[in-house]
Amino acid sequence: MTSERDFIYLDHAAATPLDARVREAMAPYESELFFNPSSPYAPAVAVRRAYEQARADLAHAIGGKPAEVVITAGATESINLAFGSFAGHVVVLEIEHASVLACAAARDHTFVRVNKHGLVSPDDIAAAIRPDTELVSVGLANNEIGTVQPLRAISEVVRAERTRRLRDGITIPIVLHTDASQGAGQVNTDAATLGVDLMTLNAAKIYGPKQVGLLWAHRDVRLKPRVLGGGQERGLRSGTENVAGTVGFARALTLAVADRKREAERLAGLRDALQRELCAAFPQAVVSGHKKHRLPGSLHIAFPGIDAERIVFKLEDVGVLVGTGAACAANKDTRSHVLTAIGMPPELADGSLRLTLGHLSTEENTARAARLIIEAVRGEYERMAR
Amino acid sequence: MGTAKETRNLLATARARWEAAAGRTPRVLVGMSGGVDSSVTAALLAEAGFAVTGAYMKNWILDVPGMRCPWADDLADAKRVAVRLDLDFRVYDFQDAYKRAVVDYLVAEYKAGRTPNPDIMCNQDVKFGIFLDAALDDGFDFVATGHYARSTVWETANGLMAGAPAAEPTRLLKAADARKDQTFFLYRMQQRALARTLFPLGGLAKTDVRALAEDFGLANARKADSQGICFVGEAGIRDFLSLYVPPAPGAIVDEDTGDVVGYHDGAINFTIGQRKGLGIGGGARYYVCRKDMDTNTVYVRDGEPSAHRAEGLVLEDPAWLEGGAPTGGVCQVRTHHGEVLCDASLSVGEDALRIDFAHPHDAVAPGQSCVIYRGDECLGGGIVA
Repeated sequence: MTSERDFIYLDHAAATPLDARVREAMAPYESELFFNPSSPYAPAVAVRRAYEQARADLAHAIGGKPAEVVITAGATESINLAFGSFAGHVVVLEIEHASVLACAAARDHTFVRVNKHGLVSPDDIAAAIRPDTELVSVGLANNEIGTVQPLRAISEVVRAERTRRLRDGITIPIVLHTDASQGAGQVNTDAATLGVDLMTLNAAKIYGPKQVGLLWAHRDVRLKPRVLGGGQERGLRSGTENVAGTVGFARALTLAVADRKREAERLAGLRDALQRELCAAFPQAVVSGHKKHRLPGSLHIAFPGIDAERIVFKLEDVGVLVGTGAACAANKDTRSHVLTAIGMPPELADGSLRLTLGHLSTEENTARAARLIIEAVRGEYERMAR
Repeated sequence: MGTAKETRNLLATARARWEAAAGRTPRVLVGMSGGVDSSVTAALLAEAGFAVTGAYMKNWILDVPGMRCPWADDLADAKRVAVRLDLDFRVYDFQDAYKRAVVDYLVAEYKAGRTPNPDIMCNQDVKFGIFLDAALDDGFDFVATGHYARSTVWETANGLMAGAPAAEPTRLLKAADARKDQTFFLYRMQQRALARTLFPLGGLAKTDVRALAEDFGLANARKADSQGICFVGEAGIRDFLSLYVPPAPGAIVDEDTGDVVGYHDGAINFTIGQRKGLGIGGGARYYVCRKDMDTNTVYVRDGEPSAHRAEGLVLEDPAWLEGGAPTGGVCQVRTHHGEVLCDASLSVGEDALRIDFAHPHDAVAPGQSCVIYRGDECLGGGIVA
């Protein structure tokens, strides 16, 4: 893989390379097995079976039932499908991904605050729930600072409200959705363990193909169709099935779940070493995200006074690819809402790097990256002192 | 044509002389677009020992719904080059000023039936107006751009650096690379701006600049420097104008017969001399010869391109680089960027100028600029009445 040879890649939260095993699983469906799964002849029926097997594998990987899984064209579509299925008030965290925030903003909503580590308190969720709240949406892990939310405890809050409503004879539903795109492969994504009613997953974040995702919804949750047409995906999402993408997604998720414990441990080791190196070189650096409840491959670190975008450009010149805290450097008004939410001052936010490790990370290249990052940051401090 | 070595010597010598005069290193703010020309400009100045800061000018860009920060790529390209050269880098936000100076002017001119040149206004009011003022306010001695033009600033700035008033005006000269010469876009610069502006690429050919980009490790600098009306972007001038001026159906009338030969959606969308997009069938070779903005009528005439010629032009709103008007007489002119210079004679009147072409010239739409040269020097020009 060129990216392995030419770059040290530290932006796995943005995109992941296609796993060779995933590519292999997809290949037949991109060539000889091109048939429309809805066609009647035997080869097409075989394709249909492979597609449904992939759906079953996806469901199995998160502890759900095949009929509860809707295949979509990625997490954004899954989130839109989830939100579009409810008319009432919604409760979301202020640090959610843009697609969740946009869907929430389009209806009656409450944004719930997080603490300086990016962690939400289940009590604050409870306080935000109104009698007409129908959907609570909490991302499993934050894409910028890696904080992992206490979904189990939040699900207890939602369950208590549901019980109260039933007891009082109220039929307004209330469900818990999680965008687990950033968590899969690093933390537990078993639906029952998390206690959620709906879950969004994205193949592109777990070494699968882009533009493939799923929405899992417990069989008691009634979804509303979003894309009308030929009635595929139980009429919820029409359009000829993306067989290769779904087969690849199933392989990717199966691998992610199977390797999770070992990979999480490996990434945490690499991440902790990277963090130690950087913090030793720059004692003034600020690490964000919850110390304990954090994605093992995630390191968000800010260097006071530094312009992180300059570091990105310096590092790309020496073959290290990293993310910054700022989504759009062209415009100061679009500074990361996540960093604002955790109370990080703008001067610090502008100096922050998002380093996310993954399959391409090794002990050797992570150590090398640490040296190169230290060199680049040091160079910037020197230039500023001139 | 000069060589890269000569340019490097010129820059290093000027820097050393000014440093001696002022007792400190001259500070230059370089307008960077991310393109190869402005990138090499910054690299050459830094190499020559100037204290260089890169600057990106955030100008007004047509808002396209749903599109986030459309200038992000350009800005990132400019900043990437600055970082590679280890330069300080700043962003100047001129959106409001740009909107006023360039966009509003453009719309007003079109509404009045003329065909303006926004790039010239951008240079006069934004780059060598507010950008220069901001640079001077921020303690810079000069601004620099990647324009292909030469000037006598290397001599005239001596006194300036020593704290003395300029002994003589700075003159604007054609670029050594005649095909790249961009003085057409610079003729409305004020003398005070010219005296504070460095054009390091004026002695170089584009091929030299590309070779230098390789030398400086800037081969990845975006190939094309932006051309044309940047803020309109991909929307095109018609779509742009339609945001400000509602469509107004009107007639296309044959100037000679008085017959209505077609219809249009707004006279504002037509330029004198235009032949394409008239939507008139029937085999006639119509071109737009006149517009009546009051009645929203476009007049056309059937004829070969050679029929639409002019013996001379009347120019309004003259601008002279040295401040005052030159003497009348023999000169050379061009009416668009890249045009081979045409022999002409200049008569300087009270408010207006008259240009008489030595040989008939294609007619020029009102609102366009005619730029006047004498030898290597660009004197200034005016706007076609």
